[in-house]
Amino acid sequence: MKWAFRGALAVILIALGVWIWVTFFPGPEQAIRKQLAQLAKLGSFASNEGALAKGLNTQQLAGFFTQDVEVSVDVPGLQRVKLSGRDNLLTAAMAVRGNLSNLKVDLLDINVTFGPDKNTAIVNLTLKVQTNGERDFTPQEMKFTMKKVNGEWLIREAETVRTLSQRLNKMNRLNGLGGKLIVSDQDLGA
Amino acid sequence: METVLEAPVQSPSLLRRAVIGRDPKRTLQRVVILVAICFVIAKFVLLPIRISGPSMLPTYSEHGVNFVNRVAYLFHEPHRGDVVAIRLAGPSIMYMKRIIGLPGETVAFHDGHVFINGKLLDEPYVRFPCSWEHEPRTLGNFEYYFVGDNRSMPQEDHTEGKASRERIVGKLLL
Repeated sequence: MKWAFRGALAVILIALGVWIWVTFFPGPEQAIRKQLAQLAKLGSFASNEGALAKGLNTQQLAGFFTQDVEVSVDVPGLQRVKLSGRDNLLTAAMAVRGNLSNLKVDLLDINVTFGPDKNTAIVNLTLKVQTNGERDFTPQEMKFTMKKVNGEWLIREAETVRTLSQRLNKMNRLNGLGGKLIVSDQDLGA
Repeated sequence: METVLEAPVQSPSLLRRAVIGRDPKRTLQRVVILVAICFVIAKFVLLPIRISGPSMLPTYSEHGVNFVNRVAYLFHEPHRGDVVAIRLAGPSIMYMKRIIGLPGETVAFHDGHVFINGKLLDEPYVRFPCSWEHEPRTLGNFEYYFVGDNRSMPQEDHTEGKASRERIVGKLLL
């Protein structure tokens, strides 16, 4: 019994040591995961968020992106959105916070692949967004290109990934813009 | 002749026997084994899921519970008509769709009907009226075509299309 207690104590101490090490000296993948967890936390907001907190959190949120960030969102049923630069992103984030009463953001299934220089990383994940306390949610696969800037991992590019490629939907939307377009598979990224 | 005194054996109470059994150590072992088996099954064999969204109506109702059989395609490839789970970045959130097109085939929609290599596909599971149009589209060697059963919704609101074999997580159990 004494040995079992000692063994259990040793396992607990080792686990505690590993946890402390990972918390205070995170590897690059842990650093990215931690950064993305903070991003999801700051991207979420409740209906009782004050005006000051709204502005402060949005400013902090923009700090997770590089100055020259490029965001490309192409979701079926919505207009394609392209944003360049942190300032434009900040404006868009403010607009989202102003238009929605609350938002819950989750970043799931995070897969990190590092570039050969170890200063860039491709992150593939599933974005889950719930608005106005609804039970249903909108899932979207995303690809982030992250860059290490002054020891911090920042998002350089963010784009939506088409899990199921939908050629006709895109053609409908393009045709809806008033022109007859013949779109090749390459153009659609299929 | 010696007189032997024997203490009366106290049998555990009925409640205790029902909850932890006669031998607590053995019960604990059983619980640990059972939890481990459940964990392995839920993680690697039958993935429990909750259905969200109307795209598989009326075959599968919203907010229903089901399981994804992850070992269904260990010994054979997916078949047309199978309802499968398709992963996004991982298995936390998946699309639930029916396979209508197999690798190498050409899939088209005309007046709401599916045509495979130019031949009309019989789809008894589609109950709602549909008027979708979709030009012929040829699938690659490892690509499948997925669509939901509820085609009464506008096509641009319905997530459907092709994806590679490696995105199929498993087949719906029930």
